Amino acid sequence: MSPIDRRMLYHVNWALVGVMGALFLIGVLNLYSASGVRVGEGVSVEPYYQKQVIWGVIGLFGLVAFMSFDYRRLSAVAWPLYAVTLLLLLAVPFLGKTIYGARRWLDFGLFSFQPSELAKFSVLLLGARILSVEPERLDLKRLAYILGLGLLPTLMIIKQPDLGTGMLVLLLLGGLILYRGIRPWLFRSLCVLVPVLLPLAWFGLKDYQKRRILAFLDPATDPLGSGYHILQSEIAMGSGRIFGKGFMAGTQSQLRFLPEKHTDFAVAVLGEEWGFFGMMVLLTLFCAFLYQIAIVARDAKDPFDSYLAAGVFFYFFWQVLINMGMVLGLMPVVGVPLPFISYGGSATLVNFSLLGLVLNISMRRFLFKSN
Amino acid sequence: MKNLHSGYGQEPPRMGVGLLQFLIFGLFCLFAVRLWYLQIHLGQVFLEKSRNNQLRTEYIFAPRGFLRDRNGELLAVNEPAFVLGLVREDCDDIPATLNKISEWTGIPLERLKDIYARNKPKVKLFEPLTLVPDLDFEHIAKIEGGSLRWPGVEILSRTRRKYIYGHLLSHVLGYVAEANEAEMQADPSLSLGDFVGKQGLENSLDVRLRGTKGRRMIEVDVSGRRLSEELQREPKAGEEVFLSIDLGLQQLGHKVLEGKAGSVVVMDPDTGEIYALVSEPSYDSNTFTTGLSSAQWAELRDNPMHPLQNRATQGVYPPGSVFKLLMAADALHENAIDPKETVQCTGELALGNHVFRCWKKGGHGTVNFQRALVESCDTYFYKLGMKLGVDRISSYAKLAGLGALTGIDLPHEKTGLIPSREWKLKRFGVRWTKGEDLNLAIGQGYTGTTPLQIARLVAALINGGKILKPQLMRGIAPVVQSTLPLTQEHAAILKRAMVATVEDPHGTCRRALTPGVVVGAKTGSAQVVRLTDDLKRMGDSVPYKYRDHAWMAGFGERGNRRFVVVAMVEHGMHGASGAGPVVKAMLNALFLGKKELPPRDVEGAERPAEAAARVGVDAVEPQFPDVSHEPGGAQ
Repeated sequence: MSPIDRRMLYHVNWALVGVMGALFLIGVLNLYSASGVRVGEGVSVEPYYQKQVIWGVIGLFGLVAFMSFDYRRLSAVAWPLYAVTLLLLLAVPFLGKTIYGARRWLDFGLFSFQPSELAKFSVLLLGARILSVEPERLDLKRLAYILGLGLLPTLMIIKQPDLGTGMLVLLLLGGLILYRGIRPWLFRSLCVLVPVLLPLAWFGLKDYQKRRILAFLDPATDPLGSGYHILQSEIAMGSGRIFGKGFMAGTQSQLRFLPEKHTDFAVAVLGEEWGFFGMMVLLTLFCAFLYQIAIVARDAKDPFDSYLAAGVFFYFFWQVLINMGMVLGLMPVVGVPLPFISYGGSATLVNFSLLGLVLNISMRRFLFKSN
Repeated sequence: MKNLHSGYGQEPPRMGVGLLQFLIFGLFCLFAVRLWYLQIHLGQVFLEKSRNNQLRTEYIFAPRGFLRDRNGELLAVNEPAFVLGLVREDCDDIPATLNKISEWTGIPLERLKDIYARNKPKVKLFEPLTLVPDLDFEHIAKIEGGSLRWPGVEILSRTRRKYIYGHLLSHVLGYVAEANEAEMQADPSLSLGDFVGKQGLENSLDVRLRGTKGRRMIEVDVSGRRLSEELQREPKAGEEVFLSIDLGLQQLGHKVLEGKAGSVVVMDPDTGEIYALVSEPSYDSNTFTTGLSSAQWAELRDNPMHPLQNRATQGVYPPGSVFKLLMAADALHENAIDPKETVQCTGELALGNHVFRCWKKGGHGTVNFQRALVESCDTYFYKLGMKLGVDRISSYAKLAGLGALTGIDLPHEKTGLIPSREWKLKRFGVRWTKGEDLNLAIGQGYTGTTPLQIARLVAALINGGKILKPQLMRGIAPVVQSTLPLTQEHAAILKRAMVATVEDPHGTCRRALTPGVVVGAKTGSAQVVRLTDDLKRMGDSVPYKYRDHAWMAGFGERGNRRFVVVAMVEHGMHGASGAGPVVKAMLNALFLGKKELPPRDVEGAERPAEAAARVGVDAVEPQFPDVSHEPGGAQ
């Protein structure tokens, strides 16, 4: 079985590639506008969109790379990768460098690297490996075991502090667990217990995290802090109305009222300039994109493939939910970017690579069937 | 790989696939509804909010209207002033910078810190915060030199009100100062740093003088920096106002009262226009526009001579014998006397167990109506007082506008007081006594009047009973507030008596005699304290604060020009000697052009800019004798 077969090219999931390309292009276009800052009568554009394109090209290599090997070998490295991730996370508090008050980066000279990014992938991989061989729906013991494996890196990430990524790791695993399914009685009791126990987590949060949650519940308590972010983001969104203010014409973004407008709040720029119409196009594209991944998970040849695809599904799903929920004022401010729309080099690379994995699964399904 | 392939679940979990599809559906619905709510349902609201973020309205200063005297002489103008501001955003080390500014200007550091803390919340980071409101050239040079090394320190040009004759007209013009919280709340068109009239005409004419501010819309970014602007309304300068005041006459009034406390009012009896409204001592209006230090303010406020008080409208004094004019008019009106009837004055009059004395020891002998006024015989008026009684006197006095505001366009005018039976019962809970009729008749006791009220009374006596609103602006149609019942015949009798008071060899107002001019007048001296025998014995060496106030109220007439002149000198002792020279000087200036003019008052006007103004005033002087009534002032 050769890693690349000419026949495989016929089986590339072009629908998924198309949706992905459309999202990436919209993201670059929007980023061009979001990087614009009004200076007097003119506009100066910071070169974020160029960097994003460059990262996109790099991401394309990642995509091809992840398409070109037999992904089932990944199953074997799931545990070792998990162990390496834990070690790196452990090293961060001692060797990491501090940026903006958070110690998240490991400096390797040529480039900096966030072990928490790796954690997402290794938890996805380990989850897929364990859950795909789980004989039955999970009982309490198995659930505790798997959750415990996820909780370990999660807590280490939250302590960095990086609530967004930590939550994402845990939610990703949680999604996979639900995909596998748990015993009905266990599901019911969790439905009752989690809302009761969740407030206890409050005491483990940092002050700024508590403030963000309070500001979300009542933006007036912190009008200049994160309440301000939510407020300005809602103003940007809402003032776009049906067809928006037009490309490069968003006042909230051009005049810098909108914070973090090329990263976490980039989609608010789109909402301001393209209105409800533009947002519905974007939302539809995201849903189509997620649906294509779900289809791959459904049609996958064997369980491990299916769980891998489902893991990628949750990886994207949670980011879309959390980021857009935050921008639309439905969730507290958490630093989670929107895939393809928010600027971010390593995120682009990871996104493309994971999609490469999904495309890989999608085309080899026919390969195996033809065998 | 085979081991995995032959694992448990050959098929992916069905529940799981359903879950994924459900999640996509939920995601779509949740965000679609939320987007509809924000962008369509509340779209208009948020559009409004985004405009509020983006656009600011800025107001453009409108120059305040100039004030001129009746001959066009400039009295109040606007001139550039330099202030020192601090832009916090550009300043690296605020405490050190404040320290340096203190070193440059000599202003104590504590005071600067205080100003800084007070203004900080009102001023944006990138806007200059005013620390020193008035820089002189010496400081400007010093700061210009050093400001390069002190980022954030800026010298800004502002417009400031300038009173060219700061001391001469402070009680008439008042002054402007920065609007306070309460004023800004009451008038939404005012904003921080705007000047408003606080006193005098500046206050009462504030809206006319202020003009209309221009407006421009500016587009700002999140830090408030302006990106573009659009003029929406041009500023409209305030109105220029010509006062009825004659600068030369006003100046003379101050000169003749110099060193005393008192007031002079010159009024046109036919139009109500005020030619001079003098109150001494005065203050310099300019000290208020630069912001008064608390020490300066305390000095003005606690000065025992009360320079802030406008004695012409706020000084309430017993009118003394000047009140006899009103008594005489009332008696004629009520037909209570026959002018030819005589009364025997022995120098005293007993009522009950109290003896009322005439000012002249030994009495005036036989006096008729005219002689009683000419020689100011108290006995004659005691008897008149008994005859008329408080009710008739006080109601007639009220008809003459006493005890009420004159309505002059100056804030904080006092009403004075005309007592009545009801008033006394209410005020003291005691009934009016017969003896008080006598005191009232000679203008003593509770009675209180302002010099302006007396001027208006004298004007009414010679203009046929018209009680006029005193006008401070030139050329306004006369406003008759009420009419004093006085027949032409009675007016003539009174006028003859007043003229005789000046011309008769025994008249109390001989000092006011002015060649070629018909002058009529009446003196008054108002007791400040009940004279004890001790004080009486001291004669003219009574301590200042116990001395009587001196009054002279009169008029001068030549051809068709006539003026009422009232002078009141606090503790001036005798009407004739205390206030007489003041009236005489004003009449000389009004009719003969004789003015021993002092050098122009340039206090508070130390800059050479005033040289031109000085020439202008000089040029006006010779016009005095020939000046005819201003438009609207015709007889």
